[in-house]
Amino acid sequence: MATIHDEIDTWLAADLHGELSDSEQTTLHAHLLDCAACRKTHQETKVMNKILEETLAQEKADPAFEQRMLAGFRSRAAQRSVLVKLLIDLMRLRATQIAAVAAALLGLVQIGRMITGEPVTAPRARERYAESEVATLQPPESRPSQAGALDKSDGIAAGWPQDLALEPPASLVAARSKFGKEGKVSATTAESAKAAQSEAGDVAAYELPENATVGKEAAQSPVESPAPELANRKLIRNATVEVEIVSFDNAVQKITAFANEEHGYVATTDSQKQANGKLKGQIVVKVLPENLDRFLQKIRSLGELKNQTLGTEDVTKAYLDTDARLKNAHVMEQRLIDMLKTKTGKVSDLLQVEKELGRVREEIEKMQGELKYWDSQVQFATVTISLTEKDMEEPAAFLLKERAQLSLYTPDVEKIYNETKSLASAKVQITNAQLNRDYSGRVSAQLSLLIAPEESDAVIGRVKGFGRVENFQMQTQRIAQGGSGMSENAKTKRDKVELNITISREEQEQAFQQTSLRIRTSSADEKAKELRALAEKQGGRVRSSTFSSDPNGREVASVSLRVAMKNYPALMQSLNSLGRVENVSVQRQDRADAQIDESNAPADISIQVYTQGNIVTEESGLFATLRRTLAQSANAIMWSLRMIGVAVAFLAPWAIAIIGVIWMVRRVIRARSKL
Amino acid sequence: MDPSEREQYRAAIHGDREAFEMIIRTHSRPLFAIAYGILQSREEAEDVVQDSLAKAWKTRWRVRDPEKFPAWLATIARHKAHDVFRKRRTVPLSERLIETVEPEPMNTTALDQQLHSALAALPELHRAALTLRYFEEMDYRTIEDTLGLTNGALRGILGRALASMRKQLRPALASMD
Repeated sequence: MATIHDEIDTWLAADLHGELSDSEQTTLHAHLLDCAACRKTHQETKVMNKILEETLAQEKADPAFEQRMLAGFRSRAAQRSVLVKLLIDLMRLRATQIAAVAAALLGLVQIGRMITGEPVTAPRARERYAESEVATLQPPESRPSQAGALDKSDGIAAGWPQDLALEPPASLVAARSKFGKEGKVSATTAESAKAAQSEAGDVAAYELPENATVGKEAAQSPVESPAPELANRKLIRNATVEVEIVSFDNAVQKITAFANEEHGYVATTDSQKQANGKLKGQIVVKVLPENLDRFLQKIRSLGELKNQTLGTEDVTKAYLDTDARLKNAHVMEQRLIDMLKTKTGKVSDLLQVEKELGRVREEIEKMQGELKYWDSQVQFATVTISLTEKDMEEPAAFLLKERAQLSLYTPDVEKIYNETKSLASAKVQITNAQLNRDYSGRVSAQLSLLIAPEESDAVIGRVKGFGRVENFQMQTQRIAQGGSGMSENAKTKRDKVELNITISREEQEQAFQQTSLRIRTSSADEKAKELRALAEKQGGRVRSSTFSSDPNGREVASVSLRVAMKNYPALMQSLNSLGRVENVSVQRQDRADAQIDESNAPADISIQVYTQGNIVTEESGLFATLRRTLAQSANAIMWSLRMIGVAVAFLAPWAIAIIGVIWMVRRVIRARSKL
Repeated sequence: MDPSEREQYRAAIHGDREAFEMIIRTHSRPLFAIAYGILQSREEAEDVVQDSLAKAWKTRWRVRDPEKFPAWLATIARHKAHDVFRKRRTVPLSERLIETVEPEPMNTTALDQQLHSALAALPELHRAALTLRYFEEMDYRTIEDTLGLTNGALRGILGRALASMRKQLRPALASMD
C-alpha cells in the first residue's frame, strides 16, 4: 500500500470532501489501520478541513451579493435601443460577416468595370433582345394577349404594330392557318385565299412574311399556261464526252459497234498524232434520242471518263413559228401563182409579181431547209466523243542544259580578259563581256559565253589555265520537252553550255592562310630590312610596313607580306635567322565548296619585329619614385593645412561667442559682489 | 449539460439580457469564490466579479460553443483577478501601508491570520480550487469544469493544497489540540 501512503494527502482530502468511491474508502481505511503516521496525518487534515470550513464560511459572499452584481451589471451595460442591438448582433453573425465581404468584393468588381469602361448593362440588354426574339417567334394566335401585356417599346422592338392587341378577323385567321399548313395550294384554295387577302388588305402587314409569299404564289399559279405534252415537243439532245483510252483505234472500232447496236451511225472521225506518238481525236456519233442514255453508258466502259455534258435544246417554239410562216408563205405563193394565171394588168406588174414569187419561194425553201435541219437534229441525238490516249503528256525528248561558273584570280585582269575574248569562234559565242574599274583602281571583268557542247570541255580547260581558279561550279539541268514527267523512250540532247567567267585581281583575293607572329631582336629597323630581302627572295610581296619607337626605347616594326603557299614553309624557316620567333598563330580558311589550287594560293604573314626596350621604364626609376613620393607628401601636408583652416573657420566664431558670454557673466557677478 | 441550461447560454450569447441576468444569478458566486481565492479580499473580489460580468456581456459573441460559457466566464474572472493581484504588488509602499492600516474585522484571531498567510503562500490555482470547494461546496467534477482542469487533476491539487496548509499551520493546530 505504498501508493496510498505516498499520496495520503490526496486520499485524505478526497475522503473528507466525499469524493472517494466505496472501494477506495475501504482501501484507505484499511491503510489507516495499518499506518500510524497516516493516522496522524488523517487527524490533522480533519482539523484543517474543519478550520477551513469555519473560517472560509465567514468570508463567503453575503446573500445580497447576487442583487448587487445584477444592479452593477444593469448600470454598466446600459440597455441599447432595439435597432442598434439588432445591428450589432447582426454584425457579430458569421453569415453577416461573409455577406459583407462578398458585398465588398462585388462593389470592387463594379468599380473595376466602371474604370475599365466595360458596359455594365450589357447582360440586361441581351436579355431584352432575347425576349423580343421570343416575341417575334410566337405564333400569331397567341400573340394578341401577349402584346397587350408588353409595353410600347417592346412591341416596336418585336416588329409588331400597336393595334395588334385587337383580335384579327376570324376569316383571316382561318386563311392564314391554312397557308401555314399547306405548302402547295390548289387553284380553288388559291382563289378563296385571294378573296381573303383582298378582304383583309389593310391588315396585310400583319401576315408573317413566309405566309404572305405563299399566299401570293398560290394566287399566281393558276395564271400560268398548262403544261404541254412532251411528245409534241421538238427537243435537240447533245452530249459531249471526254474519255481517256489506251488505244485509239480499238476505241473507234468499239464506238462504231456501239452506234450500230443503238441504231445510230458514226458521223465524223478525226484524229491527230502527237510528237510522242500518241493519238488524240474526236468522233461524232448520231444515235436515236431514246437510246442516248444507254449509249453513253456504253461509252463509259471504254476507258476513264474525264468529262461529260448532256444538253437539251428546246426548239419547239421556233419550229412552230417557222412552220406557221411556211404555211403563210405557201398561201402567198399560191395567190401569186393565181395572179400570174389570170394574166391581167401591165407587163411591169406581172414582172413585179414574178419577182415577188421568186422571193417567196426562196423563203419557203429556206424555211423548209430549216425545218428539215431541225427534224434531223431532233431525230438523232449528237454525241461528240473526245478520245485521248493515256500518257498524253509524256515528254518527247530531254534537253541537257549545262551552266558553268568560273572565278579566276590573275595579276593582270585586262590581259586575261582580252585573251578570253579572242576565243570567240563559230562554236564559241560571247554573249556578254564587261570590264569594270572602280574609283580606287580595282579592276574586275565578267564574261558570259555560249559554247557548243562538243567544244565545251576544251574551252573551259583553256580558260582555267589563264589564271588561278578560285571557284568552279558546273550545273546540269535536264529539261523535258513536249510534256512532263518520266519517259523511257525519250531521247536526250545536249544543249549549248553557258559559261560565266569572273576575273578579279589577285590583290583582292582573300588569303588562304593567315599567319601572325612576333620576332624579338636587338634592332627592329635593321631586321625589318632583312625581312624584306628574305621575302623578295621567296617571291613574296610586302603589302604594308610600319615602324614606331616609344620613349622607353622599344622599337616595333610591323610588316605584312603575301607569299604563295608553295613558298610559305621556306619563308617561315628563314625567319628564324632574324631573332626569336614568338606568338605564332595560323588561321586557315578551308572553303569546302571551291576547288582551290593550293600551291598557288596566297598566304598572308604579318610580322612584328620588336626590341625589348629599357628594363626599368622612365616612370618606375629611382628618381621618379623619389620625386613622386615627395610630391605626395607635400600634397598631404597641404591638405591637412587646408583642413586645419576649415576647422578654425568653423570653430572660431563659437569660441569667440562663448568667451564673450563668460566675460560678461563674470563682470555681472563682480558688479553684484561689489554691491 | 442540461438542454435548458444550454439554451440559456445560447440565448445569452445572442444578446438575451434576461438569460444573461439569470446566468449572473447562478454563476456570480463561483466567480466570487475564484476571485476571492486569488485576492483574499472581499471588496476586490466583488469588483473583479462585477468587471468580469461586464466584460463577458460585451464580448459574449466570442463564445462559439454555448457549453463552454461557464468555463469561459471563470477564465475571465481568473484573468481579471490575476491582473488586480499583479497591480497590487506593484502599488507604491505608502499606499500599501495605508491599506494595511485599515482596521481588520474585530473577530480576527491569530489562527485566522495564520490561515490567511498560509493561503497566500499557495499557488493561485490552488487557492481558487480551495475557495470553490469551501465557499460553494461544489463537487470535484464541476470545479474541474469551471477551472478548465483535466479529469482527476483536482484531487491532487486539493490534496497538496490541504497538506501544505496543514504543515504551515501545524504549530497552531497543535496548540489548539
